[in-house]
Amino acid sequence: MNEKPLQVLVVEDNAGDARLIREMFSKERRDSFELTHLSRMSDAVIHLANGGVDVVLLDMGLPDEHGLDTVRRSLAAAPDVPVIVLTGLDDEELAAKAMKEGAQDYLIKGQIESRALPRALRHAIERHRLQTEADLIRTHQMQFKDEFLSHVSHELRSPLTAIYQFVTILLDRLAGELNPEQHEYLEVVLRNVEQLRAMINDLLEVTRVQAGKLTIELQCTSLSDAIAYSVNTLEGAAKTKGIALSSEMECRLPSVCADPTRIRQILIILVDNAIKFTPPNGTVKVQARMFEEDPNFLLLEVSDSGCGISPDMTERIFERLFQTSDDPASAGRKGLGLGLYICKELVTRQGGRIWATSALGQGAVFSVTLPVFSLARLILPALRKERRTEGSITLVVTEIASPTGWLSDEERAEHSHGVRDLLQRCLHSDQDVLLPKMGSAGAAELYFIVAVTDGIGGEAITRRIHEQLDGYEYIEQAGLTVSTSYWSLEAIKRNLGESMEDFLDKVAAKIQRLINEANSSRMVEDG
Amino acid sequence: MANKKILIVDDDPDVRHGMQVRLQANHYDTFFAVDALSSMVEARKHEPDLMILDLGLPAGDGFVVMERFKIIPALAVIPIIVVSARDAHANKGRAIKAGAKAFLQKPVDTAELLAVIRQALGEPAHSQKPVVYDLGSK
Repeated sequence: MNEKPLQVLVVEDNAGDARLIREMFSKERRDSFELTHLSRMSDAVIHLANGGVDVVLLDMGLPDEHGLDTVRRSLAAAPDVPVIVLTGLDDEELAAKAMKEGAQDYLIKGQIESRALPRALRHAIERHRLQTEADLIRTHQMQFKDEFLSHVSHELRSPLTAIYQFVTILLDRLAGELNPEQHEYLEVVLRNVEQLRAMINDLLEVTRVQAGKLTIELQCTSLSDAIAYSVNTLEGAAKTKGIALSSEMECRLPSVCADPTRIRQILIILVDNAIKFTPPNGTVKVQARMFEEDPNFLLLEVSDSGCGISPDMTERIFERLFQTSDDPASAGRKGLGLGLYICKELVTRQGGRIWATSALGQGAVFSVTLPVFSLARLILPALRKERRTEGSITLVVTEIASPTGWLSDEERAEHSHGVRDLLQRCLHSDQDVLLPKMGSAGAAELYFIVAVTDGIGGEAITRRIHEQLDGYEYIEQAGLTVSTSYWSLEAIKRNLGESMEDFLDKVAAKIQRLINEANSSRMVEDG
Repeated sequence: MANKKILIVDDDPDVRHGMQVRLQANHYDTFFAVDALSSMVEARKHEPDLMILDLGLPAGDGFVVMERFKIIPALAVIPIIVVSARDAHANKGRAIKAGAKAFLQKPVDTAELLAVIRQALGEPAHSQKPVVYDLGSK
């Protein structure tokens, strides 16, 4: 046999157990297995990182690592090397957990049959290889599908652009006068172009949903902007159909933790649907208020005086590709039946719920709940992931405020960028400044939160942050220090007028001081 | 006052033509380029006040064009508006980061395009009523 011997790494701190394993291999042909024995996890990690290992036999109780973390570290150092864990007789439960973490198999010490060991190793390697292959194929397929759809949508949009351009050129009479009939027909073309455009966008969105690539960037956001935006956008369509579109908001509603562009998208879909299914002279209303059943949520409602939905359909309408049956109000064309499905995905991914209440002929109400913004909610997943038990995380909160309590995407981006630069100057270069988003967090020393408020003062926000963070064990475990610093956008603009460098230096010094104070107070506590 | 000059970079001749008719009706002079290389040649020749840039171009996409314009001082000053059929989610942020003033998704609404052009050129929003079909007027 010309095959190279399999490289087996045995990580076991008990000399007796290690000797037993070595003896089990003694009956095998010498060119089929080659054993390396290490007794510390740290040495094993280095050995694995150097490559060349085919399979790991891993004891789960080592001097420098214990339990599931042994498996995690082994797989982190060499994801392609299958791991078989060695456990004691009473540890089968732990072994099962290890398999969930990615171990290929477990062997119970004292019960290992010598002939079975080499076979277990070969099986583990083979299973791991098949899994890796299947993963690779799946990744390639997903990639292909994504690329294909993005390619198709691109190719569809280009000719659509030319059609749109020239139809509007004709309608604007840039190529001469039109008779009323010609004008009317071109309007029909334009309407259909608009439908096609919306369908292409929906198709792309659904692909993203299915690929789990729907981007949602949660932040402190106000519902009133989104409501105003959707009402403005669809006012024309409502007017054309003779429908009264109105909005109503409880005053002093708290902000929600959501993605503002996604909220706009949800509202556009719901209001557009409401207009579509409401006959002329009807009403469509958008409302926002506190959710009575749970004060941690706001309730957003879109109600119409349309044809309604029969009770047995109120859940099915959120299914993919669902379409209403014959319905005179929607007048023929139905679209792809993706809007509400996308809506539901968007709402759910932002931690809310969506449902419809209706009776046939009595209009429909679509209700959406969204979580009230809470700083703790925003950073808890990050802290949980870190699972830090020592060291500290400093939280610097900066408030961006504008007179209207509203910032454009550009202003927000510009400001975040500036502040990020600033914070990086205060830190050592190997530290990272992180703008946390739900579900993503790196190993950062410093969490930086941008809270857009509707003009609530600095003291109020500090109090609110402390209230929110109070009593969360993860935060206590992480040794989190909260430092707050405020400067409004206006102040930055004013100061930039003098000298950018000077201003940044001033703020940098202030943040550095805050961080130093936090560090020294911790040292006092530790000492 | 002389008309402002706009360079249209798009490899689709119909899209270029449609854009030309629309922009000329709004009192802009237009020039064309079809790829990365010709965009530089045409920009040097005509010194446009603004460039409308497609992303999907043959032999070096719109991002390449932006990179090249950035390193040549005479071209770096030209404001760029990206008008692309590519996905906004994946490309808007990247385009803005690369130096574009705005990212518009094809097919782009005429009124929006004209508003963004005026803004990029630093023209007052209502200096001239745009020549655009008003959907609200019917």
